Amino acid sequence: MLNPLLEVRHLTKRYGERIGCRDVSFDLYPGEVLCVVGESGSGKSTLLNTLALRHAADAGTLRYRSVQDDWLDLLALSEPRRRLLMRSEWGFVEQNPRDGLRAGVSAGANIGEPLMAVGARHYGRIRDTAAQWMERVELDTARIDELPSAFSGGMQQRLQIARNLVTGPRLVFMDEPTAGLDVSVQARLLDLLRTLTSQLNLSALIVTHDIGVARLLAHRLMVMQHGSVVEAGLTDQVLDDPQHPYTQLLVSSVLPV
Amino acid sequence: MTSLSATPAPPPISDGTATPQTDPDIVQAFLDQPAMMLRARAISKTFVLHTQGSVRIPALDHVDLDLARGECVVLVGPSGAGKSTLLRCLYGNYLASAGTIHVRTPVSPTSQRDEAAICTALTGASPHSILALRRQVLGYVSQFLHVIPRVPTLTLVAEPLVLRGVERELAQTRAATLLERLNVPRRLWNLAPATFSGGEQQRVNIARGLIAEHPLLLLDEPTASLDADNRAVVAALIDEARARGAAIVGIFHDEDTRAQVATRRLEFQPVLRTAA
Repeated sequence: MLNPLLEVRHLTKRYGERIGCRDVSFDLYPGEVLCVVGESGSGKSTLLNTLALRHAADAGTLRYRSVQDDWLDLLALSEPRRRLLMRSEWGFVEQNPRDGLRAGVSAGANIGEPLMAVGARHYGRIRDTAAQWMERVELDTARIDELPSAFSGGMQQRLQIARNLVTGPRLVFMDEPTAGLDVSVQARLLDLLRTLTSQLNLSALIVTHDIGVARLLAHRLMVMQHGSVVEAGLTDQVLDDPQHPYTQLLVSSVLPV
Repeated sequence: MTSLSATPAPPPISDGTATPQTDPDIVQAFLDQPAMMLRARAISKTFVLHTQGSVRIPALDHVDLDLARGECVVLVGPSGAGKSTLLRCLYGNYLASAGTIHVRTPVSPTSQRDEAAICTALTGASPHSILALRRQVLGYVSQFLHVIPRVPTLTLVAEPLVLRGVERELAQTRAATLLERLNVPRRLWNLAPATFSGGEQQRVNIARGLIAEHPLLLLDEPTASLDADNRAVVAALIDEARARGAAIVGIFHDEDTRAQVATRRLEFQPVLRTAA
């Protein structure tokens, strides 16, 4: 079996007395899409932010196998090294594209910036790459010089995805990437995400409250309630034969199509 | 680039990803019977509905099944007897409550494997190994098509082949041949199947299920919404799969199809529902 990319053991995050997420353990493998589902307040976003090193963990271990095949102890990583990792090997797609894009620069610059942050200097080549990525996420390249605000919500989300994937990350975190989009736009974005993750052999950790999104995107599923993972497994098995009372409730509450 | 701080590789972990121990008798059976593809022993399944007062619904009680290459076992019995439940357990879609399921491990000519690796336990397997088995060994055709919206039919049908490493163009050519054979009109191939009729969707589903030529096929009423002509096409495709050595287990609602494809029948009776 392949080596995992991310190894999480007993990860806990508290907000004072309140538990954000408790005793979470799992492995994420290269090329694997793992969805975390649960209702709001279940701790899934806390888990995502703790894994992405945006919140400091209170207990547990978190290791990542870098591109040089070294195991990094993420909880002991220095700030410059954390930022380097974020720039070079990780991506984070925000629920609201406005939080993940720079409003003051053009679409092309939004895609080109991360390339410059990892050392690209040739302006023409950066612009070409940005244009290629616009095509890849089905945006009109003629609009490369327009500001993000000129694009619709679904387009902004695709722009944010391009900005995150342009540097060829190995691991991408996504917080409700399809929430707030029209249903028709959602389907298109799901198709795009699925194609990109499989083409780029990308590992992805996706938080969603939408069971349908999880079924279509994820290889594996974790169900969270009150900060704990109550059930985990193969996506279709967890959704079709849920074992935990909470998962059964969650699955039975989905409206039929 | 600054090098990132490193720690030694962590020791092996036991979070359920370890391969379950296989009974030596089962290993021996796979060694003795080169045609055997699957052995299921004492499979029981009870659903516990926590949202409805934790009522227990027994669906399977100690079912045994051996399946060999070139065989098509048809499951027969009244509705509610657990036929679909067994298929779903064999696909890893339902967790068996008790019993073991083993399938023959796909042969990789380069690897030298020990005897125990001749079969893989599906029961208790990690999501990882189940996905690998589904790519290489287990094909499943359900009654309904569950796919991502907006993806064109031809791409959907070609997908299982692409996942097995076949070049996209070749996979699409093969998909076209299969769709043609199943009488799915050519004008529909570049459309997503969401708006197709039930029968058309079912035929897309069958094409998707058969294209990768999995050595083990699980068919759950693949002909339920088809007319007689298309049922005959599907029956012929199943016979061809069997002839090339696939091991097949299926449920068919009509006696004609059963009679045409079955080499053996397995009778099901509903599990006696005693008040628990």
